[in-house]
Amino acid sequence: MALDALDFEMVKKFDCKNLMQLEYGKTDISEFKLARTVVLWASFLSGKNMEARIPVKTQWEFKLSLEETFFKFFDNYTAIDVPAFSLKDKNHAEERRLLKAYFDDEATVEEYDSVVWKNHEENKKDFFNALGRFDLVMGYFDLADAIGHLSFGIPEKMKTVYHELEKMAEEVKSSFEDLVLIISDHGMKAVGRYGDHSRNGFYSANTRLRLNFPKITDFYNLIRRIHLEDESS
Amino acid sequence: MNDYLTDLERRSISIIREAKAQFNNLAVLWSTGKDSTATVWLCKKAFFGKVPFPVVHIDTGYKFPEIYKFRDRIANEWGLELIIAQNKEALASGMGPEKGKLNCCTQLKTEALKSLIKEYEFDALILAIRRDEHGIRAKERYFSPRDSEFRWKYTDQPAEMWDLYVKPSEDFSHMRVHPILHWTELDVWEYVKRENLPVNPLYFAKDGKRYRSLGCMPCTVPIPSHASTIDEIVEELKTTKIPERAGRAQDKERAYMMQKLRSLGYM
Repeated sequence: MALDALDFEMVKKFDCKNLMQLEYGKTDISEFKLARTVVLWASFLSGKNMEARIPVKTQWEFKLSLEETFFKFFDNYTAIDVPAFSLKDKNHAEERRLLKAYFDDEATVEEYDSVVWKNHEENKKDFFNALGRFDLVMGYFDLADAIGHLSFGIPEKMKTVYHELEKMAEEVKSSFEDLVLIISDHGMKAVGRYGDHSRNGFYSANTRLRLNFPKITDFYNLIRRIHLEDESS
Repeated sequence: MNDYLTDLERRSISIIREAKAQFNNLAVLWSTGKDSTATVWLCKKAFFGKVPFPVVHIDTGYKFPEIYKFRDRIANEWGLELIIAQNKEALASGMGPEKGKLNCCTQLKTEALKSLIKEYEFDALILAIRRDEHGIRAKERYFSPRDSEFRWKYTDQPAEMWDLYVKPSEDFSHMRVHPILHWTELDVWEYVKRENLPVNPLYFAKDGKRYRSLGCMPCTVPIPSHASTIDEIVEELKTTKIPERAGRAQDKERAYMMQKLRSLGYM
């Protein structure tokens, strides 16, 4: 589960036991100048720091080839709405359009939130439909990031978001016995009512990976190793 | 004279003189509000009665008539080399607050200033911002480099100890100099009183309301107040719980967030 902006401190604050899993911790994204969503996910997928390769202005159009990602190790995989790979461009363009409209006083937070939640529900449906049918399922959810940018300083609202993600983690774990990796690209911090990206990225796994403050790029080799071990067993 | 206001003034004057010594093409921004009028006055005092660089007024075309009147009178009385910056193209195309307040501010203020910097090749601008105005401004330094998009690397600023100020960075376009950064709103009013500075009449209460911060007409509202003299304003500020910029529509947190989201590529 790729959960955009899932914040290490917030997971602990709301006591999200299912998100925390057997092993959990903070990720190290200190090598990145800016905690940009597309850059961090591209780096996660490729095992390389992609900051220099992805311009800010065109980042949402940026796509890695299959050969550059850990998906190449799998014959049978699905990537749902994954930035820098299989992003649902239309949905995210709509979210960004409403975000801009909010700042131009042309849309309300409620209008923006409702589109974010609608897109979330769509991804959730796709994700749960895919579980068990592929060797690797990667589902991306921007709920905490998108809602957080306009409402991170409103505790009740963020509690609902974290509760939703916690429920999803519970459902995944109860219906699925393989490795469940939950990871975020970055965390979030409050700027008044708004939310800005922070360095408090989060990861957790339902098995002991023995990671210690891992870099987001470390997961590429980890996923490759786990896959090879699975194949040989 | 050696009192608190004089200490504030001395530091500000030394910053203004440092800026003049360091940069070839300096200007001071003047909105005609109390802070920037006090700053222009400090520039005058720093150079013994004559501001030795241009004074820039950004005219959005939506300012209060009192602002234009005050500007022209003081510019004449103080012998200022006044430059008026205006994005005529945007105004001609109908830009205004109804097109979105932030969009309007960007076009009529930021773009007007960008063009002016380019045209006059200013390498430093003196601005009258204060740390106590807003949390974001509290992070500012006296000398703050900006790139061509006016971006400010607020996470990468040195402490300004022992009066050592930052030097231009590689992607430097111009330096922002903030000589009254350490002043409070109350300090400014007490200084206005001490120096007998001219004040825009909009600051004084009329029918139970006065403007505490001056911006464009459509985006500035008066606050409830009965303070019709400088003494009464000083007294009011000692007890008020209303933020200084409460009457300004453009919320800074919101503007900061928008700028941040832009830098992160969301907009």
